[in-house]
Parts: sequence; C-alpha cells; structure tokens
Amino acid sequence: MTEETFKSNRGVFDAVVFANKQIRQRFYRLGLEFSGDGAAAFAQTRPGQFAEIDLSDVKLPPKEEIAEDLQDSAERKVLLRRPFSFCDVISQRGKTRVEILYCALGPATLRMTTLSAGNSVSVIGPLGNGFQMPADKKTALLVSGGMGAGPLIHLAKAITTEYPQVEVTAFAGAKTKTELPFEKPLDEISRQLGFALHEFAMYAVESQLATDDGSIGYKGFVTDCFSQWLGQQRSLSANDTIIYSCGPEAMLARIAKIAEDKKIDCQVSMERMMACGIGVCQSCAIKCRVEGSDEMVYKLCCKDGPVFDSREVVF
Amino acid sequence: MNETMDISIDFSRLKLANPVFTASGTCGYAEELADFMDVNQLGGFITKSVTVKPRMGNDTPRVVETDSGMLNAIGLANLGLEAFIQEKLPAISKLTVPVFVNVAGETIEDYVAVAQRLATEQAIAGFELNISCPNVAKGGLSFGTDPAQVTEITSAVKQAAGDKILMVKLSPCVTDISVIARAAVEAGADVLSLVNTFTAMVIDIESRKPVLANRTGGLSGPAIKPIAVYMVNKVFNEVTKERGIPILGLGGIRTASDAVEFIIAGATAVAIGTANFVEPNCAVKIIEGIKKYCDGKEIKNIRELIGSLE
Repeated sequence: MTEETFKSNRGVFDAVVFANKQIRQRFYRLGLEFSGDGAAAFAQTRPGQFAEIDLSDVKLPPKEEIAEDLQDSAERKVLLRRPFSFCDVISQRGKTRVEILYCALGPATLRMTTLSAGNSVSVIGPLGNGFQMPADKKTALLVSGGMGAGPLIHLAKAITTEYPQVEVTAFAGAKTKTELPFEKPLDEISRQLGFALHEFAMYAVESQLATDDGSIGYKGFVTDCFSQWLGQQRSLSANDTIIYSCGPEAMLARIAKIAEDKKIDCQVSMERMMACGIGVCQSCAIKCRVEGSDEMVYKLCCKDGPVFDSREVVF
Repeated sequence: MNETMDISIDFSRLKLANPVFTASGTCGYAEELADFMDVNQLGGFITKSVTVKPRMGNDTPRVVETDSGMLNAIGLANLGLEAFIQEKLPAISKLTVPVFVNVAGETIEDYVAVAQRLATEQAIAGFELNISCPNVAKGGLSFGTDPAQVTEITSAVKQAAGDKILMVKLSPCVTDISVIARAAVEAGADVLSLVNTFTAMVIDIESRKPVLANRTGGLSGPAIKPIAVYMVNKVFNEVTKERGIPILGLGGIRTASDAVEFIIAGATAVAIGTANFVEPNCAVKIIEGIKKYCDGKEIKNIRELIGSLE
C-alpha cells in the first residue's frame, strides 16, 4: 500500500460510537464505527496515523463529576478539532471499528467522556504517516511514555500479525501507577514472566513497566529502564533492530540519543498543537535536519509526520 | 429552491460566480484541499503568503485555542517566490477559480519584487497585499498601521502589478480603520479585504509565560466576528461606497448567516478562514446557504443585499 493510496482515501466522515469505557481514573477507551466510504478509508489506517475529531457540540459531564483541577478549563468552549491516534483498528463485513485511548484533561476530552453508544461524531482522517514497518528487522522495541502507549499497542498488533518473524518487546512508563493508561497491569507472576500488560500480552508481546515513583514496575524513567535492558542484550544486533517510541518530547529526545549511541534505527511519533491536521495551517512545525547539510527546515507534524526518523528531528 | 440562482458578483474588474473566498493561510495553495473540497466551486481563492525568500516561520507553539477563537503566530512560513512558481503555480494554473496571491515582505522592495515577478502570470487574477500580519518582526503590521506607509507600499505594488487586481488586506489593530482604508484606496487599491487578525496573548498561569513561542499571536474565529462586521460597515460607509470599491469581508465567518451579515454590512464578497480548519468543505456549504437565504427572501440579485443595512 503506497502513501498516495492512503491520502486519496482520507476525508470527512461520520462515525458512530460503539463503546466509551473508563479504564481507570482519567483514562478512557473510545470505540468508533465507520460504515461506507469511512469504513473503506479507515480500514487502511496504519499504526501511528491519526484523525481529527470534532467535539465542539458534545456535552460536558455534570459539573459535580468534573475534577476540581479541570473545572476552569471545562468552562472553555471548543472550536477546533482534536487529533487522536488509534490503539486498534478492525475491519470486517464492510464496517471499520477504531479504538482511541484518551485522557480527560481539557475541555475537549472532558466532553469526549460523555459520548455513549449510538452517538455520532465527525472525523477527518486517516491523516499523516504511520510507523514504517520492520520488514528487514528481527527485533522491534516499543517504548511509550504516558498516553504514547495508544499507537504502540496498534503497532504491536500490526507487527505481530504482518511480520511474525519479528520479536517485539514493549516498555511503558508513567509518572505513577494510576497514570498508566492501561486497563490494569497484570499480576506479579505475569510480570515476572515478562508480561506486565494485558494490552501487549494479547499479541504475545512481552512488556515491562516503569513509574517515576516506583509505585509499580521499575522505579525511574522508562528511558532508563529501557536503556538498562538494552545494555543487557548481548546478542542483539543493532542492524537488525528498530526502536519505535511515542510519548513526551523529552522522553523521545532521550530515546533518540540512546538509539544514536547504539546505532539502532529509531522512529518517534511527535506531537504538536494543531489547528487543521491536513497541512494547511502550518501550526504543527517540527524542526528537522536536512540530510548531509547543516541546514534546518520545519516539517509539519500532521503531514510529514507524526512519525519521524529520530535522526531527522532536532530535539 | 432555484438551484441555478445567480449569486454572481462584480468584483473590481472580475465577475465571480459567487461571493465566497477562502482566506489566506487557511487553505494552503489549494492542492492541499483537493481531498476535501472542489476549490473551483469558490468565488475566489487566496493563497498562503508568498515572500521573496523562503521563510521558516516561528518556533512552536504557533497556535492556541481560545474561547470561540484561536491565536496563531505562524510567522509567514512559506516556500518563497521561486519555489512557489516552480512547485505550486502549475497546479494553480489548472484551476478555473480566480486565484489571488497573498504577498508579504519585510521591505517595500520585497513586496514589489513578488508582484512584479507574478504580474505576467496568466494563472493569477490578482494580489492580496498583506500589510497586516501581526506575527513578524519586520514588515507586516508595521506597514499597515501607518497611513503614509500604506500609501507608499500600495502605490509601489500597484505599479508593479500591471493589470492584476490589487487587494489590500487591512489590520483591525488601528485607531480608525477608515484612515488606513482611505490611504489604500487613494493609492490605487482595487479592493479592500478586512479584517486580518487582532494582536492578542494567552498566558499559561502555571509558568507565567505566554503560550505562544512568539509571545503574541493573531486572534481569529467567531470571537472577532461582530467587530469585523462593524469595521466592514464603517469602511463601507466612510470610504468605499462612494468610490465603488468592493470589500472582501472576513473575520470569524462559519455559517451562511455570518456571511450574509458581512454582505449586508457592505462586503461585496466574504472569505472563510478559521472555519476551514474545523470543516474543510464549509465554504461550499456557505455558498449553498447564501443561495437559500436569497431564495427565501426573494432576492433576485445578491447585489441588492450589499450594504443594505437599514
């Protein structure tokens, strides 16, 4: 499937909500179903691609249900669409179902929590370029920080389905246990067996957890957890390995450095405040190197990304 | 409804199929929108700014949402005149809709150079002189707030523009917009477009820093619409009506009713900006909505509506 084919399929589509489940505290998983042209367009969604969703008309939760620290921002009206990537895409019998992992932390995502089965939302997509698949690799290492886990869950599924010869290992980090965007970490025994998270275990992908405060898993940054693990892999060949990462920019910068030091290919999924998502507003600029020169250019997160080769990005 | 209703307008020396444009900076160079709308259905198209040299633009964040609006501080990021001609003009020349190139620069010579180079291009109907960008250190808004400079830059570009239509885009960030409007018209502007964005700021109260890397940005969206409508009406009454100069009205339009308000206030045509980000096809819906309004009010010719404010 070429990039051109994706682009010609994108459009503005209505999707119907089929699920909106609170998985823990502020984290939710929204399911949207597309029919007709929307189903055809979104069936081709690659991990790392995203969509722009119009939440301006969605109602807020009752005031008493809104956390105190979000009361002020809940008051703000929503004008622009919001970009979301997917943690799963399933297409069958002419329908396409996509799932979005999200955190309710502002006026738009708070509104999102009130969507229920049968509601309709306007979605533009699929947009941007997803992760390049590890066709010539033996090992894929997935490193996420906070909400960055979403597209990496989708990627774990795609790699294990399309490239079963590639061994995939995932690392997920957050500030603390309650800020891990997963349904629930698996029990101690599973963790000791290397399967900390159900979301990855369902694709037989081993996973490790890190929290800044050590409330679960490795105590410290996920980047340190990953770096230590990498240091212990004596048999890993840099050429046959690729790192995929999504999370806060400081974390991506650290992952990019680790990849550079170890000479491992690395793809990072970036984030910027966007207005349009389709390459016209020029808001979501990412400073990039021009190969073979000292020159810098701005690329657009929405159109040229959100996934970039880590060597390209100027962090 | 009469689907073939004529809502065509005279726009300086052009006859346009309908009065709806997309605003500069919200629709790229047209090709970006191909998957979402048929640009040829518009009355007119205005490109993202073109400057002599390529411009990288400002650091990020470049946008932030506000109540019923947004701030942007893109900083005139564009590929520059030569790349525009090489990479964008071939596709633009295939469009049937009249295309205006938004021209920006740091000096009068910059503006003149772009206009002169493009004046012979058949694919271009005219220019929109951007003397109202609030997000650049040099040029931009500093030209548009001083009547003497408006006169100088307008007449210089008018000379360079040959037979192309010259539209001058005004900033609302002035004490009396009619003074600037008069200076532009007397120096040769064929059309006035108003308003550009309002200089504004959003502060992050945790860090006590402005949210935008540029510190300030231009406020657009529904929040500015009533002020824009007022300014269009003021300029129409005080400057353009007696001279027969058309106004392209813009500022927060997202529905056909919004567009009709601007036309009643005195705009001959309107441009859709921020709303394109939310609904890339909204200009086409607005064209249909204007037809419906005219049909419902038994308005035979949309010209009856222009400046019809009681």
